Amino acid sequence: MRLPSLSLFLLFYFLLSSCDASSQHTNNWAVLVCSSRYWFNYRHMANALGMYRTVKRLGIPDSNIILMLADDAACNSRNKFAGSVYANPGRHLDLYGENIEVDYRGYEVTVENFLRLLTGRLSSSVPRSKRLLTDSSSNIFIYLTGHGGNEFLKFQDNEEVSAHDIADAFHQMYEGGRYNEIFFMVDTCQANSMYSKFYSPGILATGSSVVGENSYSHENDYDIGVAVIDSYTHYVLEYMEKVNKTSRLTMADLFTSYDVPKIGSHPGVRSDLFERPLGPGNPNHPMSEYGRGRGWTVEGGGEWMGREIEAGKNGRAFREALITDFFGGVVDVDVNNEDDAELRLFEDSECISSPKAPLSPSTNTYSSPPSSRSSSSLLDTLDTYPFLRPSLAFILLGALFVLVFSGMTSGRS
Amino acid sequence: MHWLSCRKTITLCIVFRVLFALGLDFYLSPPTSYAYYADNGDKVVEFINTGPGLLSASSPLTLYANLKESLWLYQRGMDPYGSGIGQVGVSPLYLAFSFFPTIAESGPLKTQLLSKLFGIFLWTAPDAFSAWFLVRIWKARASSRTSTNSSSSSITFVLPLIYLLSPYVILSSLARSTSVWENAILLGAIAWACESESEFKTKPKLNNSNSKSKSKSLLFLALRVHLSLDALILLPPLILILLGSPESRLAEPGPFALYVAKRRSVKKQPEEKLPNEPAENHLRSTILRAALNVLFEFMVYWTALALISTLIVGHWRWMSTTWGTSLSLPSMTPNPGLWWYFFTEMFDHFRPFFLVVFNVHLLMYVAPICIKFQHDPLYALFILVGILATFKSYPTLSDHGLFIAFWGIFPEVYPYLRHPFPTTLVLIHSALLQPLFAHLWLSHGTGNANFYYASTLVGACAGGMAIVDAVWAGLRIALERHGKRELKFVEGEEREIVTQQ
Repeated sequence: MRLPSLSLFLLFYFLLSSCDASSQHTNNWAVLVCSSRYWFNYRHMANALGMYRTVKRLGIPDSNIILMLADDAACNSRNKFAGSVYANPGRHLDLYGENIEVDYRGYEVTVENFLRLLTGRLSSSVPRSKRLLTDSSSNIFIYLTGHGGNEFLKFQDNEEVSAHDIADAFHQMYEGGRYNEIFFMVDTCQANSMYSKFYSPGILATGSSVVGENSYSHENDYDIGVAVIDSYTHYVLEYMEKVNKTSRLTMADLFTSYDVPKIGSHPGVRSDLFERPLGPGNPNHPMSEYGRGRGWTVEGGGEWMGREIEAGKNGRAFREALITDFFGGVVDVDVNNEDDAELRLFEDSECISSPKAPLSPSTNTYSSPPSSRSSSSLLDTLDTYPFLRPSLAFILLGALFVLVFSGMTSGRS
Repeated sequence: MHWLSCRKTITLCIVFRVLFALGLDFYLSPPTSYAYYADNGDKVVEFINTGPGLLSASSPLTLYANLKESLWLYQRGMDPYGSGIGQVGVSPLYLAFSFFPTIAESGPLKTQLLSKLFGIFLWTAPDAFSAWFLVRIWKARASSRTSTNSSSSSITFVLPLIYLLSPYVILSSLARSTSVWENAILLGAIAWACESESEFKTKPKLNNSNSKSKSKSLLFLALRVHLSLDALILLPPLILILLGSPESRLAEPGPFALYVAKRRSVKKQPEEKLPNEPAENHLRSTILRAALNVLFEFMVYWTALALISTLIVGHWRWMSTTWGTSLSLPSMTPNPGLWWYFFTEMFDHFRPFFLVVFNVHLLMYVAPICIKFQHDPLYALFILVGILATFKSYPTLSDHGLFIAFWGIFPEVYPYLRHPFPTTLVLIHSALLQPLFAHLWLSHGTGNANFYYASTLVGACAGGMAIVDAVWAGLRIALERHGKRELKFVEGEEREIVTQQ
C-alpha cells in the first residue's frame, strides 16, 4: 500500500515539475547594445549604461553581460566630467564608475558582430568575454538603443540592421537551443517595428514607440550640454528601481506602468510568441486595460500583439512571467540549515604583514639581495639594519669634508 | 670696511627674504585653496610651481617634490631608483640626510612655526653663501688692481644685492629647487679656486688664502658634478684657474705657458721668444704634470663621492637615473631650455643621433673658449656658465640667475660691449613672456606648446647674444691694449683702435 502511493506521489511530482520544466531557466544573460556614436548621442550610451547598472544590481554578473557601446562618452574630449556618464541633470549617479566591463567598444559594435554574437558563429580567436555562451535554459534580456526607423536600427552611422535579420538570428538561436526565453526591449524611433518580424517561440518584446512615431529624450543637462537620457528608458529604469532580487513583480506590472504622457510616445508589447502569462490571471488581469486606459490617446492606442491569446495562457498553469526571470540571477533559493559551515576569522599571521623594517628584507628594498652574492657579513648587517647605510654614508661624507678642510689632503705646499 | 658692508648687506637681504617667504606662506595659508596640504612648505612651493615659476623654477632634476619622494621612499626601505625607464632621480648624496626628522607636519603651533622657519632658512642660507662666495671671487680677481679701491666697496655692496634680490634666485629658492644648493656649491668651488695658491702663482695676496683652498675647490666641484653632470664642462677652466690666477688679464692675451713662464721668476718681454727649446718643453711638461695632478685629485674626490653614493643606495643603478638623465633625456618635461621640444617632435629612430648632437654641442665650446681665453680662465669660466645656462638639458631660472650675477664680476668689459641694451631688452622680453605663455598653455588651455617654446627661444637668443657680446668684449680689450702697445712701438704715438662698435 505504501509503495504504490509513494510511486503515485512521485509521478504526480514529476508531472507537476515537468509542467514548469519547460519554462524553468537556470541562468540569465543580458545583451545591451548602444549602436550610435558621437557625442550628441550621449543619451544612448547613458541608456545602455543605466540598463547595465540595473541589470548588475539585480544580479546578473559581468561574465553574463555583453555590453556593446559604440562610442566612449566618458572619455570623450568634450566631456566636462571626464570619466563619468550621468543619466540625470543633477548628476547624482555616475553610471561609469570603476567597475564596468565593456565587451564591445567603439568600432567593434557592428551589425556583423552583433548578429555573430547572437548566433554564436564566432571565430575561434574571439575571447570568452565577447561570446554569448548561453544554453537552452538561459533567459536572455536583449536591449537595443540608438537611432532607428521602420524595421531598421542604425549602427555607427554607416550601416543598419533590419528587423528581419534579427528575427532570423533569433530563429537560429532557437534552432540551436541557445535560449530558453528572450526579453527584447528596444528604445529607438519607431521601435515597435523592430519586433514585428519575429517568428520564434519564447520571445517577449517591448518597444518605445509605434511605427511612424519618434521616441524622445527626457532631459538635458546644461553642464554636459547634451540630452542625458531617453524618456522611455528613463521611466523603465525608474520603475526598475522598485524591483529587487526577490520581488515578485510581474511583466504585466512593468508594462502597465507605462505612462504615455510622460514618456511622450506609445510603447508597445508583443507577447504572442511568449507562452507564459504576463501577469496573474485572477481576479482582473492587470494587462486587461493595457493600451486602453487614460493617457493612451485614441489614435495611437496601445499596441499589444498577443492581446487576444493572453487570456488563454492562464489556463495552462504556467507560472507568470516575473521581472526577475529576466533580470535576476536567482530562481529559487534553498536555505541550508546546516551548521557545518563555520566562518573562520583569519589570524593576524595570515594577513599580509606591513613591512617592518629591521627584520624582514623584502625584495623591494634598495639593497637587492640577489646582488649580494658574496654573503659577507658587512653587507648582511647593512641589509638587516637599513638605517646603517645613510648614517655610515653621512659619517664618511663628513670625514671627507673634514679631511679636505683641515688641509691634510693637500700635501704640497 | 669692505667686509663689514658686504656682510651687512647679505644679512639684511637674507632677513628680508626669510620674512618675505614667511609672509607668502601666511598669505597662502587661509584654507581656501591649499588646505589639504599637510606639509608647511608645500603651499609656497605649489604656488610658485604653478604660478610665476611655472615650468621654469624647477626642472625634473631639481624638483622639490622629487627630493621629497626619494627621501620618503628611502626612509621606508624602498628603492628610489627602481621604477624603471623614464625616471629622473636625485643624487643619492641627498639621501644621506634621510635620518634627520622630517619637517613637523602637525603639532602645536610653535613647533609648526619653528619647522616652517627651519625649512625656509634651509633654502635661503645657500644663497647667503653664494653671495659671499661671489664677493670673494671679486676680491680675488680685483686684488691686483690699483685703481679700483674706491669703487670696490660699492661693488661689494652691489654684488650680493644683485644675486640675493634677483627674481630668478628668489623664485628658485621659494620653489625649494635644489639648484640653490648647486649654485652655492659651484660658487664655493670657484671662490676657493680663485683664492688658492699653487706653485705657479705669486705670493699670496689675500689674508685668508691657504693651501687647502685647492682641495676644497676640487671637492666642491666634484660634489657639484655629482649633483648634476652638466657642470663637468666647467672643470677645464677651473683647472686653469687653479694653475693660474683669477686676476683680470683680459688685456694680456697670450699662451698660458707664457704666463707661467713669466711667473716663475724668469723675466721675459712678451715679444721675445724663448731662447732655448728644452726650457720651453720643460715648461710645458711642468704645466702638464701640474694639471694632471689637479685632475687626479679631482678624480679621487669624485670617486670617493661615487663610492659613498653607492654605499647609500646599495647598487649602481643610481648613475643612470641621475647622470644619465642629462645625457639621455628620459623626461620630456617642458623647461626653459631648447632640448625638450626637439625631442618631442622627432622620430625615435633619430633620437640617439640628436642626443649625441646636443651633448656634443654642449661639449664643443669648452676647448675653443679655454684656448682662446687661456690668459684669463675666470672669464672662460664665466662664458661657459653662460653656455651652460643656455644650452644645457634641463635649465632652470637659477642657471640664468647665476649667469647674470657673474656679469657683476667683470665690470671692465662693460665699455666694450656691443649691444648691451638690446640684450637686456630681449632678456626682459623673454622673462616676462615665458611664465605668461606657460600659463596660457597649461592653465588656461588657450595657447599651445609653440607659444611657450617661442618664448624660450627668445630667452636662448638673449643668452646667445649675451655670450657673444661677452666674448667680443673680452677680446676687444685685448685688441685695444695689446694693439696700443704694438702701435706705440711701431709708430711712436698713440693711435686709437677703431672697430665696428
